[in-house]
Amino acid sequence: MLNAGKAMKVSIYLSDGATRHGVPVYSSILDFLFYRGVAGATVSKGVAGFGADHHMHSANMVEISDRLPIKIEFIETREKIDAILGKLEELAGTGLIDMQETIVVKPAQISKPKQAVPPVHLKIEGKAQMMRIYVNEEDRWKDKPLHEALVAAMRANDIAGVTVYRGILGYGAHRRAHKEKPLQAAHHGSIMLSAIDEEEKLRAFLPIVDQMVAEGMVVFSSVDIVKYAYRALELEARS
Amino acid sequence: MKEQFPARMVRIHFGEDDRWHGKPLHEAILAKCMELGIAEAIVFRGIEGYGSGSRIRHSSHWPLTKDAPIQLSIVDTEERIARLIPCLDAMVEEGLVATSTVEVIRYSRTAAKSEE
Repeated sequence: MLNAGKAMKVSIYLSDGATRHGVPVYSSILDFLFYRGVAGATVSKGVAGFGADHHMHSANMVEISDRLPIKIEFIETREKIDAILGKLEELAGTGLIDMQETIVVKPAQISKPKQAVPPVHLKIEGKAQMMRIYVNEEDRWKDKPLHEALVAAMRANDIAGVTVYRGILGYGAHRRAHKEKPLQAAHHGSIMLSAIDEEEKLRAFLPIVDQMVAEGMVVFSSVDIVKYAYRALELEARS
Repeated sequence: MKEQFPARMVRIHFGEDDRWHGKPLHEAILAKCMELGIAEAIVFRGIEGYGSGSRIRHSSHWPLTKDAPIQLSIVDTEERIARLIPCLDAMVEEGLVATSTVEVIRYSRTAAKSEE
């Protein structure tokens, strides 16, 4: 396990065409490092380069070159590298090995299996608020339709749920009547978003609405939540 | 510009086939709301529902059977809504009107526009 602090970085430069026991050299080196327990290694393929033999290796349309330069890089502690260096030299054959001191700022962590994040809303009961937002379908916020942006913003702010309704007819603050026209691809209609959550959460979200809605209306009303169930919990209980 | 005030919300439920003087009822009510200077009115078409008389209403793409459930949602101050209710009494023959107390925040682009 590699810890933060001083370490060595080893780079091995190879030609793609080189093989050992019938497999590409880079692959046998990678296997060697893997089974010796090296913290991690990366193989990258260059697009062009030349080595000791001064043959230019590059990919072009005529020949899909299999002799492109290959670089293997890994970082380990000095002791571990000293222990494997002899064998590495043998494996690298004609390739070049270079080593430099480096500082590990943050060691890589083994990714842990994802822990189930408890949902923000397990249960809401009793008194709550319903927030309805009236906007126009053609209203935009940045590069998105406003109602879509509002839904995204509510989602990001953990509002329990929101539904968007498109009115077939209506008018609002601007005193223009909207009518749905079936033959028109782009609708210019009235939109209502309806969200229900605890009062504090909706009030806390209001400044964001303030900033996003230039023209429209927000209506608050008190509601009683009879049931709010989170489906993931049901699934968990079943399994 | 931002205003905040207590208000009433009226929701009216009826069918898309309902008419008022030959005009679709929802269009007639909407026109009435505009005439009374009501702040916000919006008509929704439900995909399915039932109401008074207990006949199920379907929204259908078939043009001949289009008695879809309609919901009108109207918001304004108590006084303006009080002026609207008698009109609704006259216009809605079969349907349901529900009112609730709400709190409104209204955004308008210019102060002058909202005064209109």
